[in-house]
Amino acid sequence: MDATAADTPNYIALLEVPEEKMVVLPGASDDLTSVTFCIKEEDHTLGNSLRWAIMQNAQVDFCGYSIPHPSEAKMNVRIQTTEQTNAVDAMDKGIDDLKSVCQLLKARFQQRIRQGDYARAA
Amino acid sequence: MNGGMHGEQNNPQIRIRSLDKDSVDFVLSNTHLSVANSLRRAMIAEVPTMAIDLVQFIENTSVLADEFIAHRLGLVPLVSATVEQFKLTRDCTCAEYCKECSVEFTLHVKCTEPGTRVVYSSELISSNKDVVPVVDEDGQGVILVKLSKGQEINVHCVAKKGVAKEHAKWSPVAAVGFEYDPHNNFRHLDYWYEKNVKDEWPLSKNAGEEVENDPGAPFDFNAEPTTFYFNVETVGSLAPQTVVIQATRKLQERLGDLQMALEKDQNPDANANMDEGDPWV
Repeated sequence: MDATAADTPNYIALLEVPEEKMVVLPGASDDLTSVTFCIKEEDHTLGNSLRWAIMQNAQVDFCGYSIPHPSEAKMNVRIQTTEQTNAVDAMDKGIDDLKSVCQLLKARFQQRIRQGDYARAA
Repeated sequence: MNGGMHGEQNNPQIRIRSLDKDSVDFVLSNTHLSVANSLRRAMIAEVPTMAIDLVQFIENTSVLADEFIAHRLGLVPLVSATVEQFKLTRDCTCAEYCKECSVEFTLHVKCTEPGTRVVYSSELISSNKDVVPVVDEDGQGVILVKLSKGQEINVHCVAKKGVAKEHAKWSPVAAVGFEYDPHNNFRHLDYWYEKNVKDEWPLSKNAGEEVENDPGAPFDFNAEPTTFYFNVETVGSLAPQTVVIQATRKLQERLGDLQMALEKDQNPDANANMDEGDPWV
């Protein structure tokens, strides 16, 4: 594919959700127990905590993430699972679990704000 | 909640220690370092606010160059409590900008008397009563430029919604204090010192919340941090509790996007594309 001026991303385009937000890189095993996902426009903000959430799954043997190059807004997530499940389900579950942690975090914070038992500056 | 996740790390707890107009101090516990760091990063760079993005110079005879003033105008914090009502300009149907995705400001000051005329951010006239420059008790805001007799500045500005990963001017926070393990029990830090570590590295106020390990005890290699001390200090554009809540919301949204992308990837058409084996698409 030729890189023309039109598809060279400018700084605004970098923040748009790209057409292929997540793709499976070639080399995945046929049963999908070992897969590397390439996720666009994501960084360490979700990368590290998503890796952690996926690792919490007992069926996941390995999960790691990397950002191969800082000027490419891409993140690779490698998942290897046992034969009881597959990497796609593990990814789905990891996202679900992390979402519920965020939900709890938000709910807990809002609850504490409502309770109001904290110091306030004069 | 969810069967697969073990331990207490999936049940985060929060204790707010203090809250005022522009800062919140809270303790996050029972979670993993990566989650705490996601929250910190989201608060700094992912929470949308309003900031001046386009500046048109009609007149500038001050000693400062146009681009210098434009940069200063961009950094002026704007009250962004209504930021949710605005669209991002790139998602808006208008050609350049409109009232659904922007707020216009004008500033016209001429110094006609001897001496120095100080121009403050509070002199920016907004087209929207809810989006105005942040001011402190004296009601003046920040100094934009100083004019001598005969000098004039006349600008037209457009403020847009944005996030700080595009430009730091959109960050709702000036600083996010983040600390764990104040006694350095985990030895994640290796302090440099001249004579005595304890004298040269005074304990932070968070040290009172935890106990120091017995220096003679064997080192626990498996210990992980579970308690994180946050101090979120805003620039005044959003309330500190809003920053925290919006950051968690943003994380949820991003995870939702990811889940949708995963489903899309699972449909046969997407997989057909993958089989061609072109890793660069």
